[in-house]
Amino acid sequence: MHLNEYREAGLVGTFSRQTVVSLLVFVVVWEVLSYFAPALGIPAFAIPSFVRIGQSLMSITFIDVAVTVARVIGALILSFVLGVFLATMMYRSEKLESYLFPMIRLFMAVPVVSWILFAVLWFRGVEFRIAFVLIAVCGPVFLVDALDSMRGVSRELRGMMRSFRPTTVQYFTKLMFPAILPNLITSWKINLSLAIRVVTIAELVGAVTGIGHQLAVAQELFSVADVFAWTLVLVALLFLLEAVVARVERRLLRWRA
Amino acid sequence: MAGMNDPPPIAVRSLRKVFRQTTSGQSVVAIEGLDLDIASREVLAIVGQTGCGKSTFFDLMIGLEAPTAGSIVIGGKTPYGDFDHFRGQIATVFQQDRLLPWRSALDNVKLPLELIGVPEVEQRERSMAWLNRLGLGNFIGAYPHELSGGMRQRVAIARAFVVQPGILLADEAFGHLDEVTAAELRETFLSLARESGSTAILITHQLEEAIGVGDRIVVFGRSAKLLADIHVNRWQEGEYAVLREAIQATLQSNEQDARLNRP
Repeated sequence: MHLNEYREAGLVGTFSRQTVVSLLVFVVVWEVLSYFAPALGIPAFAIPSFVRIGQSLMSITFIDVAVTVARVIGALILSFVLGVFLATMMYRSEKLESYLFPMIRLFMAVPVVSWILFAVLWFRGVEFRIAFVLIAVCGPVFLVDALDSMRGVSRELRGMMRSFRPTTVQYFTKLMFPAILPNLITSWKINLSLAIRVVTIAELVGAVTGIGHQLAVAQELFSVADVFAWTLVLVALLFLLEAVVARVERRLLRWRA
Repeated sequence: MAGMNDPPPIAVRSLRKVFRQTTSGQSVVAIEGLDLDIASREVLAIVGQTGCGKSTFFDLMIGLEAPTAGSIVIGGKTPYGDFDHFRGQIATVFQQDRLLPWRSALDNVKLPLELIGVPEVEQRERSMAWLNRLGLGNFIGAYPHELSGGMRQRVAIARAFVVQPGILLADEAFGHLDEVTAAELRETFLSLARESGSTAILITHQLEEAIGVGDRIVVFGRSAKLLADIHVNRWQEGEYAVLREAIQATLQSNEQDARLNRP
């Protein structure tokens, strides 16, 4: 079973037998490497044992986790609203689309690091910088996915809906948004993973709170155990958020065969 | 019209529709100079071969397309120009059921009532009544993928009738179903249309269907040219075979068969 299928089926959260075996193999290999590292000429701190990583995990500050989660969720909600709103406007107006789309493509081609540098150079507030970077990276993904999905709604359904003469608001709320919901949820899954990575880099560079900041501190202290511990938290966080989205997906898309 | 006794007659005058092909830029004449009057409460069947403009006429009737020239006038209003005026007054049944897959049977039937602002309780009552009437009382919570083709088309019929429209349009609505289901649904549709006092326009390529349900049959030739206008009640049931042959000959030659010239 491919990892994506595990995620689709929500098996990541339930720890199937294969998942446990796979994780155990990794832990054993790491622990063996940790034991033999000095003999192999690798400094002992470079591959810390799980006991040491466990100690680091115990010292995780939950306020930093909460801050990072809040930044990710907040920025994703803003990106979603902005992206879907602009996609709706662009779907309604070909002229607007012809002007906006090249700009969106340009935005999507800009590397994350450049956005972070722009944010640091342009803005003062840390939260504003991070929100700006996340929205600049995730907003276009929501926009393009929503626009493509709207265009993909079948001509038959659009014709049926129009034959009942809905208002513009009804047309979108009764047909377009429910029709593109599966694609929007997929966009959320993609953006969650993207946002977790981007927020970490953004915090690493310009924040005094959050997981990214704690990673920067760990790096300054040459503490691989702390880096490992915070990385584990990040991965667990991503799986947790994906599990939440999968649950929402199952509820909202229960009509699917 | 909804709630009124007699829906207004429909007058089609010098109707022309030309499409410009996106890729080649060439113009295609779908309908050329069509004149047609449809009386109130009439059940009209439109037959014609593929590509004769039947579906274009359907789209023009429901106001999804604007005529290139000429007009369709219903009670002094045009379906395209006065689009909102006909909200809840024209209903359609399509070839495919076109149900919204994320809505249950009940919610699909409720859709047109939601659009015209009927209160929630009344939406539910009216939709339930129509689903019961069409034999789907036990399937109100079922999603479209859980229903058979015939059941889905019943839901689509309920969705069309629930607003009590003055004008009902059906575009090859039973053509994709097996003969037994199609005949059953055709009969149901016809009796409901007559009972509700709606003007019904059925577009079909099946002559049996046209002869079986229509008060009147109009035969479209290429570019929606009106080849024949037949009042079925002027034909005895024993003459239906001749009628069918004459329509068939008309369709094949694109010229009216002399046998259809019946005063």
